[in-house]
Amino acid sequence: MPIHEKSLIRPENLSTHDNLTIDGVDVSGDWSTFIKARVVQDYNEDLQDEIAALPGGENIHRCWQCGSCTNACTVNALNPDFNPRLWIYLIRMGFEAELVRDKDIIWQCVSCNKCTSACPRDVVPEGVMKATAHWLELKGYTPKTPSTEFDEIFSNQVIHTGKIEDGAVLLGFFRRTGQSPFQDWVIQMGKQLAMGLPIRMLMRMGLATLFHPRTRGWDRARAAIEEYVEEQEAAHRKALGLGGSSHDPHAPRQAQPIPQAAE
Amino acid sequence: MTKEVLVVGGGPAGLAASHALSSAGIPVTLVEKTDILGGAPIHSGYAKLVPSGEWAKDAIGGMVKRVEDDPGIKTIKNATVASFDGSPGDFTAKLSNGQEVKAAATILCTGFTHFDSINKPEWGFGLFPDVVTTSQVEQMISSGKGVRRPSNGEKPKRVAILLCVGSRDRQIGREWCSKVCCTVSANMAMEIREELPDCHVYIYYMDIRTFGLYEEFYWNSQEEHKVKYIKARIAEVTSDGDKVIVKGEDTLVKRPITIPFDMVVHAIGMDPNVDNFVLSKTFDVDLHHWGFLKRQNAYGVAGATSRPGVFVAGAAIGPETIDDSIAQGQSAAMSVVGMLHAGATQTAAE
Ligand SMILES: Cc1cc2nc3c(=O)[nH]c(=O)nc-3n(C[C@H](O)[C@H](O)[C@H](O)COP(=O)(O)OP(=O)(O)OC[C@H]3O[C@@H](n4cnc5c(N)ncnc54)[C@H](O)[C@@H]3O)c2cc1C
Ligand code: SF4
Ligand code: SF4
Ligand code: SF4
Repeated sequence: MPIHEKSLIRPENLSTHDNLTIDGVDVSGDWSTFIKARVVQDYNEDLQDEIAALPGGENIHRCWQCGSCTNACTVNALNPDFNPRLWIYLIRMGFEAELVRDKDIIWQCVSCNKCTSACPRDVVPEGVMKATAHWLELKGYTPKTPSTEFDEIFSNQVIHTGKIEDGAVLLGFFRRTGQSPFQDWVIQMGKQLAMGLPIRMLMRMGLATLFHPRTRGWDRARAAIEEYVEEQEAAHRKALGLGGSSHDPHAPRQAQPIPQAAE
Repeated sequence: MTKEVLVVGGGPAGLAASHALSSAGIPVTLVEKTDILGGAPIHSGYAKLVPSGEWAKDAIGGMVKRVEDDPGIKTIKNATVASFDGSPGDFTAKLSNGQEVKAAATILCTGFTHFDSINKPEWGFGLFPDVVTTSQVEQMISSGKGVRRPSNGEKPKRVAILLCVGSRDRQIGREWCSKVCCTVSANMAMEIREELPDCHVYIYYMDIRTFGLYEEFYWNSQEEHKVKYIKARIAEVTSDGDKVIVKGEDTLVKRPITIPFDMVVHAIGMDPNVDNFVLSKTFDVDLHHWGFLKRQNAYGVAGATSRPGVFVAGAAIGPETIDDSIAQGQSAAMSVVGMLHAGATQTAAE
């Protein structure tokens, strides 16, 4: 039996017997193909509100499923399973389990915003993708992505010292993502810098790496920023029905069991 | 008190209003900006109209003739209204050609402006000759030349019609639905299939809005004429130098599409008349927040604007069909008749 649009059927929902005879009729192979019914057992009616509560997700309710985002999308061109339009639908309808199935590709959005400029309803799909990736992390479905790790190290440093020191960011990033700081390209870059930059500048860079200078009078600014960041994060966690604080980047997060999609 | 009424704009709405007033014995001055009466269906050379199936030049042409032959209607072409002063029962309009018109009331029937597809560059209009608008295809059909690829004059084998071009789109500040383009496109698809039975016609839609009895056009185009409807909004139209290539997502089956076509047709929408800011100032009437002339209220006096004695009808109010534009022209005329009658009884009583 030819199956039209096989792409819409999850492979696990297809059943075919290589050898099957029913009432003396040989129905081996494709003749015995069945598609198991897909049943929706529950909607998570809060899902849209949860995504809308995260930065970037605010306009998700506007989507009318035209597909402009998906067919403008940079990543979709490489991977047809990367489909912002579909995910927005799943979120709006509350198909949490279906959404989580794609957790390992959702974060691949490259923030090019081609979708954003194509969207006739100004949903800002790029923002929704960001909010969704954030949601997956907060819910514990995915570990923090390398880019989230990078953002955290970067902003923690700015918040802490009022300055940005590239060497420290890079080292911190390698440490947290379990990478060696002695990678070929890093060594190469170090060599080039040493050759190309004046001695005084190199010395200042070295000192900065060691002593983490701060912007003068930064403490008040830091307190205000930290307060704001904490407020925001608490609000996000509350919107998702999560307790506690995730502000300490090293705090262990509750691992979340992946919900089972109805077959 | 003057009894004469000024009608501005000689499209379906203005023609209907003028005829209705004249039938009631009220003298009319009809001011039309161009040198031809008939409005968009005549200026843009529409072919067969929906839902009647009559040729625009016959159907609207008949309305034009009725007005031109009517001694009670004075038509002034190539003119607009430069200033408009006074009060109900006693207005004075100065025209762009220097003429002066006395009027007891006026009905604005100034219609719409076609969306210019150049403003949606990703869909290839102006870049590739085989990307055209519904107006252009209407002209191909009404001129009798038939639907041909502008690039080489050949009969197309595959045509794509893209709906909602210049409508329902925040990116370009046009959030309204243009109301007629779904039905016009379904009808056009059938006309293409009738002329060129070997040509496949695809319609790319977000929603199909063939409202009311127009649903028949949707059904017939699918059932009798095998027009294919695909739920997708197109991302971009490119070209390989010969074919125009349409890229999108078939959202129902979650499949990317990249399909070559011989022709792509934009189902262009109805913009507010580009003159509306000037009209709003000249006649001192409010605009709707999307730029159309604002109708005061739907349930009281038909076609009333924010200024007493100034009425509005047709596509000037918002995207409208010909039938409804005509009905609105007539009902605004009825409002004027009522106003004049009330004024006359008042004067008689004094
Ligand atoms: C591609 C296309 C196909 C269509 N096909 C159909 C169809 O098959 N059936 C249907 O029911 N509807 C159809 N329509 C809709 C139809 O065109 C409108 O309903 C109709 O034209 C509205 O009539 P109107 O008199 O209000 O405005 P218009 O037709 O726009 O007429 C306005 C008139 O006012 C004049 N004017 C404008 N500004 C001024 C001014 N400042 N001073 C003086 N005069 C002025 C204009 O020159 C024009 O003559 C179609 C629309 C499009 C875009
Ligand atoms: S921002 Fe993300 S979702 Fe949007 S087009 Fe780019 S990669 Fe695709
Ligand atoms: S382009 Fe906008 S409206 Fe269309 S499917 Fe994507 S998010 Fe929804
Ligand atoms: S009538 Fe149809 S094509 Fe026209 S704007 Fe409305 S939905 Fe789009």
